Amino acid sequence: MSELGAFFWQRRAEILALTGEHVLLVAAAAAIAIAIGVPLGVSLARRPALARPVLGFANAVQAIPSLALFGFLIPVPLIGGIGARTAIVALVVYSLLPILRNTHAGILGVDPAVTEAADGLGMTRRERLRLVELPLAFPVVLAGIRVAVVVGVGLATIAAAIGAGGLGVLIYRGVATVDHRLILAGALPAAALALAFDFGLGAVERRMGPRR
Amino acid sequence: MRRGALLAAALLALGACRAAADRPVRIGSKNFTEQVILGEIAAGALERAGVPVERRLDLGGSFVCHRALVAGELDLYPEYTGTAFTAILKEKPIADAAAVRTQVGAAYARQWGLVWAPPLGFENTFALVMRGDDARRLGIAKVSDLARHPELKPGFGYEFVERADGLPGLAAAYGLAFAARPAEMDLGLLYPALAQGKVDVVAGNSTDGLIAAMGLSVLEDDRRYFPPYEAAFVVRGAVWKNPRVRRALEALSGAITAQAMRRMNAAVDRDGKSPAVVAKEFLAGLPPAAAAP
Amino acid sequence: MTAPILEYVGIRKTFGVGPAVLDGFSLSVGGGETVALVGPSGCGKTTALKLANRLLDAEGGAVRIFGRPAAEHDAIALRRRIGYVIQEGGLFPHWTVRQNVEAVPRLLGWDEARRRARSDALLAMVGLAPEAFAGRRPASLSGGQRQRVGVARALAAGPPLVLMDEPFGALDPIARRAMQKEFLEWKARWEAAVLIVTHDLREAFLLADRVAVLQAGRVRQVGTRDEFLRAPADEFVREFVSEFAP
Repeated sequence: MSELGAFFWQRRAEILALTGEHVLLVAAAAAIAIAIGVPLGVSLARRPALARPVLGFANAVQAIPSLALFGFLIPVPLIGGIGARTAIVALVVYSLLPILRNTHAGILGVDPAVTEAADGLGMTRRERLRLVELPLAFPVVLAGIRVAVVVGVGLATIAAAIGAGGLGVLIYRGVATVDHRLILAGALPAAALALAFDFGLGAVERRMGPRR
Repeated sequence: MRRGALLAAALLALGACRAAADRPVRIGSKNFTEQVILGEIAAGALERAGVPVERRLDLGGSFVCHRALVAGELDLYPEYTGTAFTAILKEKPIADAAAVRTQVGAAYARQWGLVWAPPLGFENTFALVMRGDDARRLGIAKVSDLARHPELKPGFGYEFVERADGLPGLAAAYGLAFAARPAEMDLGLLYPALAQGKVDVVAGNSTDGLIAAMGLSVLEDDRRYFPPYEAAFVVRGAVWKNPRVRRALEALSGAITAQAMRRMNAAVDRDGKSPAVVAKEFLAGLPPAAAAP
Repeated sequence: MTAPILEYVGIRKTFGVGPAVLDGFSLSVGGGETVALVGPSGCGKTTALKLANRLLDAEGGAVRIFGRPAAEHDAIALRRRIGYVIQEGGLFPHWTVRQNVEAVPRLLGWDEARRRARSDALLAMVGLAPEAFAGRRPASLSGGQRQRVGVARALAAGPPLVLMDEPFGALDPIARRAMQKEFLEWKARWEAAVLIVTHDLREAFLLADRVAVLQAGRVRQVGTRDEFLRAPADEFVREFVSEFAP
């Protein structure tokens, strides 16, 4: 056990650097997924006919094995290639479903009496969205973001296969050299990251409090 | 009653003999093209000799294959003497090919009861590879030239970064210090990454099929850092005892030149042929004595 | 005689492929008066109400609000000049009581001092002391208290017309009775016209100056309780008001 600790300590600079890369990958993907997913989720809530195919498509994409998706994207021009950018694109694709679905459900879940009152009082569509619907849907949206981020931490470890960096690098090296210490050096911080995000976002969720 | 028991015993004994002779030989390989081709060649040679074979190719890196062989999960796989010497036996690299071969053979037999079949006839050493244009433009022909260009972005496979005879030893021997941290990725992606300009220098293999195809330059190992890497099959002692296995593998001794290996690699990597087909074509082209013991 | 503040003339409204919900519906509401629209459930009362603030638009006939055709009004601006109270309340659960009441003044851009003075006055009027209630959330209020906030919110910008859809329908009988009584007190201090929709004839007679009975998409009769009892327009109306006969 202490031998493991000494191993980690010896490699601490690298572990820290890769953890930083990992956080960047996940954060960038989450930010993009939120920027796309929340507005899209809102507009799907307005257009039920569109909601089913779009959500169905996002659902189907989740079924693609992540390594396969990383691989598919490599030859794609502009967004593909080898490296972090491709990994972020793939992570965005996987993060979209929970964020989309939760935004959609969150907006639809707002009490119809409340939205009717908002309209009756004379709010424009945009005011209604900004002042009423989004604040009320926020806890549900945040729950979706939380899922996306925690899953993203795990997926990002696979991205190392295509040269994206992050903690997966240590895991792959450990697998290649059959060295469990390296595997742990990558897996433990990754697990800790996932827990930290889960806990942190959970705390924010709880602060928001029950709304309805 | 007694006659029945005798008959049953005889059948059992016969069955056991047949089972021993017919238990398939499990052939493994590492996870890059040349290894898979060599695995297919071994499989094909054994099958021609009437030995049933189970393919477990494209397993993982050197360490995975070695562990599997030692544990009895595999019966043979293609290895390189230099890799065995420095990475597995953890010796300091030396340049004498014959000495490496002898020491490796002795150590493997003593520690694990493993046998080295005779060398296949070619070496596959680590090669630092760059885009041809860049190498010419920057005047880089030797590895020691790299020390003058720390701005180049390196790319390596995972095993190379961790192996003592890989990056750490290389950097120490040549005084290399890259400004950027090496990009690490699946082996198959190194050349595309080089072509796309994502990296500027990669550690490939000297017999890689894409080197010529992509107009890449191989840098000379001028300080003779890398040990000799002669290719040969490593076999479990118990399986080597099977005369048909032994004859089939000895027939391949010296049968593959570096050029031939390169051509086979290119057929798979550049032209998209399957390793099994390439191996079959190779075996078909061998002189009859080698093909059918 | 001043022009009616709200006027429906021969309105026709359908939803999809069914029979028309409103067919030849006509009614007028004068400034300052309270008109109740009654009828059995599903007869189109709420639909008629929503034509007044353009939450719905009619296919045939004319709706005139504040003397101009409905279509000429900008829907958003119109709604900010009309108070709207619904049965479920529809208070914004993430806002405090004060924020709810100040909703329309906020939309209209009133400054904070003016908004605050107004919400203090209205909360006091509906019997919710500002010091005690202004900072609370709707979830912590009783049904009756929530409806009071709803009324205060509807009146906040001082609209000349208020629409109420079964405003006391969700309350228990006691709370309901209390609210009805207080409505009359509040009404005395407004100058607004009120169109109130209810299925409860007794409530209608209690709260309104005139009652309109709606059935099969049309107004059967409009008048005071005495007029109904003395001269019911048809069999249906007579049946409808029969329990009030002496």
